[in-house]
Amino acid sequence: MQHKLEITWFTLVLLTIFAFLLGYLKYTNTAFVALLLLSTFIKGQIVIDYFMGLKEVSLRYRLIPAIWLLTVLSLIATAYYLPL
Amino acid sequence: MTNQRSIKESHPPGDFAIWIIIYVELLTFALLFAGYAFSRRTDVTLFNASQLVLDQTSGFINTLILITSSYFVVKAVQSVKNMTQKSTKSANESASKWIFLAMLMGFSFLVTKLFEFSHIFGLGITLSTNTFFMFYLLLTMFHFMHVILGLIILGNIYQRTKHAGYTPDDHSGIETGASYWHLVDLLWIVLFPLIYIIR
Repeated sequence: MQHKLEITWFTLVLLTIFAFLLGYLKYTNTAFVALLLLSTFIKGQIVIDYFMGLKEVSLRYRLIPAIWLLTVLSLIATAYYLPL
Repeated sequence: MTNQRSIKESHPPGDFAIWIIIYVELLTFALLFAGYAFSRRTDVTLFNASQLVLDQTSGFINTLILITSSYFVVKAVQSVKNMTQKSTKSANESASKWIFLAMLMGFSFLVTKLFEFSHIFGLGITLSTNTFFMFYLLLTMFHFMHVILGLIILGNIYQRTKHAGYTPDDHSGIETGASYWHLVDLLWIVLFPLIYIIR
């Protein structure tokens, strides 16, 4: 697909603007934090797949950073959502 | 970004040694990210109050800067990977232009960060001010050093493209450097919402 890379970059920009607006507008309650973490996962996975180019390599090499990302964001979510 | 292929590569782009370094870096930062997230639970009020001192706009701008620089680096890699024996010179020239733009973005990141650090230190904040600032300074300064190292690597790639040093058979170096630069981007993508936004 032509301009695939540009679309990828633009998606990352849009998701970054979304994250910034959540913070700027103080929309940081529990539901929005889940959305924020989800958007962060999407951004990270885009970087892993399309910028690092791991979408085109053996699955095990793609899985290592993907599992890292999922683990880190799950830990952050656990720390945030577990009752104090 | 690589071209569409039906058969997947057996190894990730670049020298495999860089991937060992990348995995170690990912693990190190994972511990710091988790450390921050769970330490926050011990004093949410302090973390939320301290976070207000940070400039979210600066973090936002730096995220855009790193994403864009990564895009430029991918364009440089594409130029080199798609070259033929006949287009070696022009492909290196094109890569050189993209790497230069990526470096420009990298330096912009450092300048924005230095302004932020200057503001923070101007308030008398240090590593020992409180747990939030300990993690903030540790994470952002550690990442800052990674950006500097990434820029040194990009500088070397830039020099090589200037001398048309990449050929259709030898472009592993630019992929190796690019992989490291994308790591720097990936780490910031997690760091930005964690430190600047979530409260």
